[in-house]
Amino acid sequence: MVRYVLRRLPSAVIVLFLASIAIFLLLRLSSGDPASVLAGPDAGADTVAAIRAGLGLDRPLPVQYLIWLRGILTGDLGDSYILHAPIAQLIGDSLVNTLELATGAILLAIAGGSVLGYLMATVRSRTVQNLLGAVTALGVAVPTYVTGVLLVLVFAVTYRVLPSGGVGPGLSDFQIGVQYLLMPAIALSLPTGATIARFLAASMRQTLDQDFIQAGVAKGLRHRRLMAAHVVPNALPPVTTVLGIQIGQLLGGAIIVETIFAWPGVGQLLLQAVTGRDYLLTQDLLLIAVAVFVVVQIVTDVVDAAIDPRIRLERA
Amino acid sequence: MTTTEPVTIGAVAADPATRPARQAAGLWRGLRSPETITGLVVVAVIFGAGLLAPLIATHSPYAQTADTFAPPSAAHWLGTDEYGRDLFSRVLYGIRQDLLVGVVAVPAGAIAGTVLGLIGTVHGWLDTVIQRLFDVTLAFTGLVMGVTVAAVIGPGLPAVLLTVGLVNVPLFGRLIRNAVNGLQSREYVTAARIGGVRPLRLLFRHILPNAVDALIVQAALSLSLAVFIEGAMSFVGIGVRPPDPSLGSLLRTSITFLDRAPMYALAPMLVVTALVLAFNLVGDGLNKGLLKR
Repeated sequence: MVRYVLRRLPSAVIVLFLASIAIFLLLRLSSGDPASVLAGPDAGADTVAAIRAGLGLDRPLPVQYLIWLRGILTGDLGDSYILHAPIAQLIGDSLVNTLELATGAILLAIAGGSVLGYLMATVRSRTVQNLLGAVTALGVAVPTYVTGVLLVLVFAVTYRVLPSGGVGPGLSDFQIGVQYLLMPAIALSLPTGATIARFLAASMRQTLDQDFIQAGVAKGLRHRRLMAAHVVPNALPPVTTVLGIQIGQLLGGAIIVETIFAWPGVGQLLLQAVTGRDYLLTQDLLLIAVAVFVVVQIVTDVVDAAIDPRIRLERA
Repeated sequence: MTTTEPVTIGAVAADPATRPARQAAGLWRGLRSPETITGLVVVAVIFGAGLLAPLIATHSPYAQTADTFAPPSAAHWLGTDEYGRDLFSRVLYGIRQDLLVGVVAVPAGAIAGTVLGLIGTVHGWLDTVIQRLFDVTLAFTGLVMGVTVAAVIGPGLPAVLLTVGLVNVPLFGRLIRNAVNGLQSREYVTAARIGGVRPLRLLFRHILPNAVDALIVQAALSLSLAVFIEGAMSFVGIGVRPPDPSLGSLLRTSITFLDRAPMYALAPMLVVTALVLAFNLVGDGLNKGLLKR
């Protein structure tokens, strides 16, 4: 198992390394001269030079890159020049909010997706099957910015039962905090939940066709035991794989959902950084986005290998 | 199909005379499926309306009037926005941005990806380099790629076009590479190689035609993704920007006025959803006809 993880690590590190170089170079080459932007139009040449030296922009590019990497490893990321606050603190605060949103969405997606997927695979009624098929197909395809706005329109504008945006008091006051979290989390969870449902249903149907299930039925296993011990465990690997892919992509959805619900998370911070041309903040956040994707991919592979010995043995 | 060369073993095994017919039958089966027909009709109506916007639109999409937030009426079919502009006309012109993204960015990304993927199948170490590049590109998922591009070249329609192109490169590259590598080990290809068919001819005449089906299905799904990305980028403020209308930018502005003018949001929402679903349906239908023989 450990050997399997170690085999998967190098390619992930390479991807992360190449991505960090791409982010660094692209932003450095495109952002013009941040020092003169910072100094303002009235600043003298020596002021600009002082700011440039302060940011390390007078050093050669490889040195600047290494300084950036060192900053990431030590947590010393400098100050944001549009928000005038330490970048590490800005990222920390927004990360907490995004994690709250993402955790809520993932839990909802797993719970809802598993139930729907299980029903799709086991309910015999054609009508129910078609209905669930249509609902999950819509859930996969309808863009988050459509479902999110629709939720606001129904529950905040028309019926006024939920707040239309903001984080509220957070989860310190659970009852009220949950009201703020509910709509954004639902909007973010829909594509993931629907995807889980469809993959679980397809995988369970395939498993149900296998000979060993027939054998289980023939030797008189009770339905519940058959499902819990034989069908579901064997149907899980493709579902965890697709769940991993979905979680890796969750940040993109979070950018949209945070925009709709004025949720002060990483997505909002990233948009502020990009539109404010704050390249320091932008490069840190983009690297986080890529790192999340790469790490989630590895975790997914490990989980897959843990629940399916065939993968472990085949690739070890 | 006119060739002066002698018939080789490989050509016989690959049966090039009947392949186009078989493939056409698969494509026809895919096109005739109810999913594909429904999807194509919806796409044709929406994109047709966008294409003919100058003829169909009842007003200029930029003409402001004092009549702000007017409800739907005979003069303004979907009502007006915060500057008294006609929403129906703005939605029509908004469709054109997606038309542009679909016609320019998706094919560009598809061609670039296919070429890179093919280069990889011929050259060993180039393949490694290209695969790593694809890995890196894939790590910038959808909207994260959009934000990155907007950070580098600035927000706007060019950023949307470049994002959609870049996102599609590894999708098509991986697909064609895996399809070609899968076919390389088939008996008819081995037979052709032993029979002396040159590598490039083998690739273009015997392997590639059999790998095209997957690309056609991916194209439909990529168009769906393109509409989604345009909407997402414009919605979060890094794509098409006001006063230019696009489905995403209309929706972005509309959420400020949900209580006063729900139609402002509902119209672009409906069109964007219809387009995304329609392209998915086309993809599903083609998939059934072409790939699940």
